[in-house]
Amino acid sequence: MKRKFILPGIVIVLSILVTGCWNRRELNDIAIEVAIGIDKSGDQYRVTSQVVDPGEVAAKKGGDRTPVITFHATADSLFESRRKMTTLSSRKIYAAHVRIVVIGEELAREGIRGILDYLARDHEHRPDFFLVVAKGTSAENVLKIITPLEKIPANKLYSSLQTSERAWAPTTSVTLDELISDIVSKGKQPVLTGLEVKGEQEAGESKENAQKIDTPTQLKFSGIGVFKDDKLIGWLNEPESKGYNYLINNVKSTVGHISCPDGGKIVLEAIRSKTKVKANVKNGEPGIDIRIKMEVNVGEVQCGIDLMKPDTIAELEKKSEQRVISIVQQSIHKAQKEYGVDIFGFGEAMHRSHPKYWKEVEENWDREFADLPVQVKADVKVRRLGSVGESFLKKEKE
Amino acid sequence: MQEIGKIGVRQWMILVILYMIGTTMLIIPSSLATETKQDAWLPALIGIVAGLLPVGLYSSIEHLYPRMTLMEMNEKVLGKGLGKAVSLLFAVWALIASSQVLYYVGDFMNTHIMPETPIQAFHIIFMLVVIMGVRLGLQTLARSAEFFFPWFIALYLGLLLFISPKIKLDNIQPVFETELKPVIRAALFFLSFTSLTLIVLLVLFPSYINKPGEARKAFFWGSLISGVMIMVIVATNILVLGSDLTARSVYPSYALIKKISVGNFLQRIEAVMAGLWFITLYYKIALYFYAAALGLAQTFSLKDYRPLTLPLGMIAIVLSLIVYPNVPYLKQWNTEFWLPLILTIGLIYPLILLGVGACRKKLSGKG
Repeated sequence: MKRKFILPGIVIVLSILVTGCWNRRELNDIAIEVAIGIDKSGDQYRVTSQVVDPGEVAAKKGGDRTPVITFHATADSLFESRRKMTTLSSRKIYAAHVRIVVIGEELAREGIRGILDYLARDHEHRPDFFLVVAKGTSAENVLKIITPLEKIPANKLYSSLQTSERAWAPTTSVTLDELISDIVSKGKQPVLTGLEVKGEQEAGESKENAQKIDTPTQLKFSGIGVFKDDKLIGWLNEPESKGYNYLINNVKSTVGHISCPDGGKIVLEAIRSKTKVKANVKNGEPGIDIRIKMEVNVGEVQCGIDLMKPDTIAELEKKSEQRVISIVQQSIHKAQKEYGVDIFGFGEAMHRSHPKYWKEVEENWDREFADLPVQVKADVKVRRLGSVGESFLKKEKE
Repeated sequence: MQEIGKIGVRQWMILVILYMIGTTMLIIPSSLATETKQDAWLPALIGIVAGLLPVGLYSSIEHLYPRMTLMEMNEKVLGKGLGKAVSLLFAVWALIASSQVLYYVGDFMNTHIMPETPIQAFHIIFMLVVIMGVRLGLQTLARSAEFFFPWFIALYLGLLLFISPKIKLDNIQPVFETELKPVIRAALFFLSFTSLTLIVLLVLFPSYINKPGEARKAFFWGSLISGVMIMVIVATNILVLGSDLTARSVYPSYALIKKISVGNFLQRIEAVMAGLWFITLYYKIALYFYAAALGLAQTFSLKDYRPLTLPLGMIAIVLSLIVYPNVPYLKQWNTEFWLPLILTIGLIYPLILLGVGACRKKLSGKG
């Protein structure tokens, strides 16, 4: 009889006491942070936090205020400055939804070692955000720019980085894990995509920036930053960045042109691309073999070429092979001669295939890399011509 | 008779699987990757094969003294005084081990899911469920394990399925780079967390299982299956995270789950997947705790072990709060002290039992 009452009693008491989490935080108690900017300020870190103003992003309303706010704090360490922000913000900043972390160029050149551990250690951060470097400006400035189309600038950056990587391939999205393992690895040096402010800084900071049809100030990804260990040492331009993506097998789709035999251009769209990097050691001499396999479609024709002839296609294939090879070699050349760092992971390829040889050269791989002979072979197949067969330009001529 | 109910062969096998996976799946990839880098799956494989030896050893002890629990064997083999002393030591060790596993529950929750909740809250709530389960008896525990097992398997397979797009074969190359020594060290380490801990199950094997003959087979298969499951997780960790990140994470398998993102919508499911550990951790703690309570009751020839569960549970909770002062201590304990300890308990002790037992049998057969 007693049991009959005790059990329901326990159930009721427990369900009152044990509901929910201990440290629950309601949505209206937290400030959702979407981007973090980190700059150097003397010996200290200046951290900029881009936080969503929920009232402005809500579907119905939308007033005079900007959709996001930034908070700044300067302190000796990242963690301290983040907590210091509570003196500015009415709500505690919640970091699980961070999309992008922007590192100021100045800090990147001095070394980013000091900031990565915090990002990895704190449990609130999820490792799925991207890291980029603010090229020629500070992270703070970048995060102040209002963007059109996407109300939240961080979302714009996140999807713009992904889209450009997929469709044009001059950028590469790097997550924290990848960055750290590249810094640690002896056979690969890290890279981060650069982010520029196009237009005037002042104009981009007000809401009017998004109210014009032709947005005066925009955020643009441009080129890939080359790191030696944790220090930024230089930039690759757009074609070189594309070459980088070919080399690390990161090209999903891109577009490039080759010239027609009799002037004019023909543009090809890569629809599939696969790169294989093989390291070999012959007679004690290391070497790298690269094989790029691509399938392309004809995307645009600006000359009177006879596309319906199989010979023409073979010619196109050959030319585009040369073109890809030259793009790739250009970026290899830049990395070898100008920067002298192995950003392509050739060292890791060597480690995988020749672990014994790797043991010998591991310690001074970058020097080894600078004189490494690299063979590039490409195999391009033209598959389809688009919705038009022969170009009207050919008829016009005759 | 302290335990009246008997469990079926399938229930027994499920208990073996869940018990052996326990904490192992969550933490061992890190230790193996520290020792052997990208070859971490290799010591796991060696460990599985070598792990069949202790399983065989435990089975042969059982063969020598069928229908006896470990405590009864102790007294029969080592004599009343010494036997009781050994039984007592064993029960105390099982209690400490259960609180060590309990620490993992709190530490994991505190590190990853609810950092501001006092760790006592997790320990008390979790231990209450353990005490409840153990009080209800072995049959209830085994049936609940049978009930949870499909869920466990579904989560496990789901994890493998959803993470498979992230696998990079490059991460595991070059294979066989590690030298023999670290591989053996890591394999021993693997053993110390898997097969050697199965000695605890001798308190209920085979006397509480309804078909002892088949139970031996189930014991063997259970340990093999869970060994393979752990090895697959180790390999997946290396394949997805790479050896460096695996070695650096405190709970690499959780970091692995965080990586799941299928088509940008099936993501952030780590809290659901954490259910995997809670199921296995529960049975690990419950069986250690059961061994402690039952062992103590049998040592002192009590009629029933149930009155012991509540006080022992309180001790376990307090013990779990002080058993490891911090995470580096835990790491050091696991790598330096645990192996000799478990070798003594899980290998030398049963060997003595077996040796002395065999001699006695021979002597008494002659006389």
